[in-house]
Amino acid sequence: MSVTQTQTSVITDASQGDGLPYLPNPALYDEAVDANGEYRPHWENILERLKELGPEAFADRESKALRILRDDGATYNIYSEPGSPAHIWNMDLIPMVLGSNEWGTIEAGLLERAELFNLLLRDIYGKRDLIRLGVIPPEALFGHRGFLRPCQGIQIPGEHDLILHSVDLARSPDGTVMAIGDRTQNPSGWGYSLENRNVMSRVFPSLFRDSEVHRLSTFFQRLRAKLNSLSRSNNPRVAVLTPGAHNETYFEHAYLANYLGFHLVQSDDLVVRNGFLWMKSLDGLSRVDVLLRRVDDWFCDPVELRGDSRLGVASLLDVVRSGNLVVANPLGSGILENPVLLRYMPEIGRQLLGRDLRLASVKTWWCGLPEDLSYVLEHLDQLVIKPVYRSLDNPSKYGPELSQQELQQLRQQLLTNGAQYVAQPILEASHVPTFVNGEMKPRPAILRSFAVANNSSYTVMPGGLTRIGVEEKSFMISNQTGSKSKDTWVIASEPEADFVEEHIEEPISREADLISLPSRVVENLFWMGRYAERAESSLRILRTAFIMLNGEERISEATRHQLLHAVSMLTATPSRSTDFQTAEEALRGIIENGAVMNSISGNLNAMLYCANETKELLSSDTFRVINDIRDALATLDTTFSSSLASAPEETLDPLVTALMALSGLTQESMIRGFGWRFMDMGRRLERGYQIAITINSLLVPAMVESDQSKVCEALLLSLEALISYRRRYRARVGVMASLDLVMMDGSNPRSLVYQIEQLSNHIRALPKAPSQMHELAAEERRMLECETTLKLSSLSDLNKINDAGLRRDYLDQQVSKIADLLSGMSDLITDKYFDHREASQQLVRNNWESF
Amino acid sequence: MLYRIRHTTEYVYASRVSHCYNMAHVTPRNTPRQECLSSRVDVLPGATYSSTRTDYFGNSAYHFEIQKPHKKLVITSVSEVRTGVQAAAPDLEFGISCKDAREAMQALAGSAETLFAREYLMDSAMIKATPELAEFAADLFTDDKPLLTAVMELTSRIFNDFEYSPASTTIATPLADVLANRKGVCQDFAHLQIAILRSLGFAARYVSGYLETLPPPGQVKMVGADATHAWLAVYVPDEGWFEYDPTNNCMAHEQHVVTAWGRDFYDVTPLCGVIYGGGQNPVLRVAVDVTRLG
Repeated sequence: MSVTQTQTSVITDASQGDGLPYLPNPALYDEAVDANGEYRPHWENILERLKELGPEAFADRESKALRILRDDGATYNIYSEPGSPAHIWNMDLIPMVLGSNEWGTIEAGLLERAELFNLLLRDIYGKRDLIRLGVIPPEALFGHRGFLRPCQGIQIPGEHDLILHSVDLARSPDGTVMAIGDRTQNPSGWGYSLENRNVMSRVFPSLFRDSEVHRLSTFFQRLRAKLNSLSRSNNPRVAVLTPGAHNETYFEHAYLANYLGFHLVQSDDLVVRNGFLWMKSLDGLSRVDVLLRRVDDWFCDPVELRGDSRLGVASLLDVVRSGNLVVANPLGSGILENPVLLRYMPEIGRQLLGRDLRLASVKTWWCGLPEDLSYVLEHLDQLVIKPVYRSLDNPSKYGPELSQQELQQLRQQLLTNGAQYVAQPILEASHVPTFVNGEMKPRPAILRSFAVANNSSYTVMPGGLTRIGVEEKSFMISNQTGSKSKDTWVIASEPEADFVEEHIEEPISREADLISLPSRVVENLFWMGRYAERAESSLRILRTAFIMLNGEERISEATRHQLLHAVSMLTATPSRSTDFQTAEEALRGIIENGAVMNSISGNLNAMLYCANETKELLSSDTFRVINDIRDALATLDTTFSSSLASAPEETLDPLVTALMALSGLTQESMIRGFGWRFMDMGRRLERGYQIAITINSLLVPAMVESDQSKVCEALLLSLEALISYRRRYRARVGVMASLDLVMMDGSNPRSLVYQIEQLSNHIRALPKAPSQMHELAAEERRMLECETTLKLSSLSDLNKINDAGLRRDYLDQQVSKIADLLSGMSDLITDKYFDHREASQQLVRNNWESF
Repeated sequence: MLYRIRHTTEYVYASRVSHCYNMAHVTPRNTPRQECLSSRVDVLPGATYSSTRTDYFGNSAYHFEIQKPHKKLVITSVSEVRTGVQAAAPDLEFGISCKDAREAMQALAGSAETLFAREYLMDSAMIKATPELAEFAADLFTDDKPLLTAVMELTSRIFNDFEYSPASTTIATPLADVLANRKGVCQDFAHLQIAILRSLGFAARYVSGYLETLPPPGQVKMVGADATHAWLAVYVPDEGWFEYDPTNNCMAHEQHVVTAWGRDFYDVTPLCGVIYGGGQNPVLRVAVDVTRLG
């Protein structure tokens, strides 16, 4: 079918039922439309079906995709916006489509390039024949910061040292596909590719099914098999090392760790002992055999690489050298990203493979060579100048975008330090249809490919991560500048055979792995439980205060005072109750003071932080709830102030509901491993403590009977027990019966005794060091004390009012004691189970900018 | 000459170190004029794990981990080394001229040794070539003068123009300051001469080691009186590396015992690593004995 001959014909087409007309730029290669204005065969069906949708339906699918991405927690952090929340992964729903035949050619080129780069890596850290034989000048290697001299001679088991290889590809106007750069030290994007595919298959299920798209799963199975095969151990432990939640691609780290079934670890989770790498977990140290690292080369080992790095593990390199650990990609592989190598790629290919390469590299001039430099200086305004060592603070410069003065500066820079720069022609990458503001527009695209080593060769992911320029004329395509990505569809010519993993074995259940969560993760779960509970109790007391202060029955001054006192105790904010004459004013005081809301949002933000640190353990249902909490939190201040006049308590409801949903989800869908146990311990401990504080702040002062009854009602309301009480007693609310329900009643899951008993059960179930002695551990003794303090108190003693007739002294004493015991309990758990390593420092400062 | 060398490094920390990982370059390497016959490294309080390897530059690197809490770390390296004079003990009046040497270093194709030597022509962590550095000695490296003669003249110029002054610099003192103040210690002079040579287009590397000192006539040598020392080697195309000692205005000879070499001090730091705890300002003490055995 003809799409376009001229601009007018397209517009005519559009009016005849094409809901999404597409007008390619005839000057450039368009992926979907050929020079005659015809759809390329592999695109035709897909584009027609997308166009049938029309802009509105398409926009609907976009919101659905956005929801999925959000629920999956798919984010990308942009470094130039410090403090800004993570961005939702930016995705365009029109796939990049490649035909099977053409992909075959590209794939063959990529396989060859991966093999070549493997040999190149071996040569660079081995005999360096390429220099010896004059194929590349010594400065190309020795002058690059990615050349890690401490990695000399390291080899890993198997045919390949280079485990992962990633190439950025672009198609030039003449239709040839070429390599524009390689990513080798820590290639990113393959997790995002998987997420893009996940979204596409859910948003366009039938289109996806009918299109016979090559699946991605084989690639990931191969990757998992390869990583497992790298260790000498039969049942190796593989971990994914991430720099942490602030990293731009943290989502991907957690996502991949989950998908592949590996542990996600950070620097502090790991330690070197006796020549091996270990993960710190609750039951001690668990050996790590293979590390898939997402930390850049220089940061991996403060002993031999960057001394001030906090992202690596001290002595890691020595463990690798001893063969007790395999790191993928190998340390030092960043040297392969050196664009000077592109300048010599044809010669390197002939030297190492003995033939001309199938896949061409972009033309590259190295400004360290006088003849290249003079060409570059003459054509500076038409070239892109790239530093040989990539870094955020030294971005590529695009000649056409520079002013005369900037060009002059650049010229000077190249004259004095040319060896640190290369130049390349500015690519006019092929265009691909993209959904922009309700229309289908051409945008330049580049494709990042991924290859993983297998036993004899490499496996290339069919497709990869397509990224597109923001504008039609964008030079630079990078996620850091807001580029969108696309799923890449390689259309299968015949149905795919399933990949069968070599040596099929039933996965060996690792009893130990239920325990072997990194202690950092467990600590975050513990605190997630505590913060969630703390926020909930603040919300509940605040809600209770609003309901009672605004209620139909007028409440006395003394009751009002007591309620506001409880609010201030439970939210740990200063009490302002005495400053106000009316309930209305008191409420406003609470809000305008801001401290109470700060304390609630402070706790919720801390909880969200913990959730992010344990991302890999939380289901996408859980993430949906966490997103709801984040959203409710973001709008809390405004909705709250604006509804003050009507029913302010209602604006708190969504948050309370979301917190309840979170707690329900963790109860119902988390495996009862140590992760769950610690999260529940955090909850029980915090809830017990909050109950004790609530009782103490409301019931210790003796009040006249009508007020006393009101205050008891507040207690029951805030502890979610009022309905049970009424069902049980059908009478006016009294102190003894209230205390019974919230303190002693083991069948009430919000009673103090229930929290304490649950906490004791958890403590008993934790792993303990074997000991000859029969004495109880400190935390067991403390729980016992807590339990007996509670159980040995009689209700009548607790209700006893002192001689002055003012206070329930004994209640105060017992409840305060329980609160103290519980808060001390948290320290005992922290000391015993969580990591609290001393700060490290360098013996000799060597933060020299290394070459 | 046969020597026994005892090199003790001691760190006393302000507070307890619970754990540490270190890497040491304290064992003499083999060179064309030197053979390390035996060596041993002892660590107090006992290394839980240690390994020895040959590093990128061919030096011996000793890695160790201590798991025992300690406030004092002592590393003692004892080695026996046989040294000789430099190959050919070249007559400085012969050999390749400065011009030819410079051109050979820049040539597109060269012998493998020359190509690999170019690594030492480039800037390194602590040494950056500048026009000012080249300026300092440009008059000595005239086209027709034999390179080795010019290097010896530069060695003498540094020896004569600079004051040996242990208090004047630290390991972090930039070369520009050393050049401006005309003061420093062996390692500053070595760095300076390397930087000047590189600025002029010649490859040079940093050599760390020991120097046997002889007591004044009639006196007994004191134990621990020797010190670690540093000098440099310059590459002469297709002839090899020649060692010069600007601190003592000479070429290195039998009394110069090599521990390690690299592009600069950074590559051969005697002891570095990561410690947990330890507080501020540890006290470092180094003692060296070079005993002549025969």
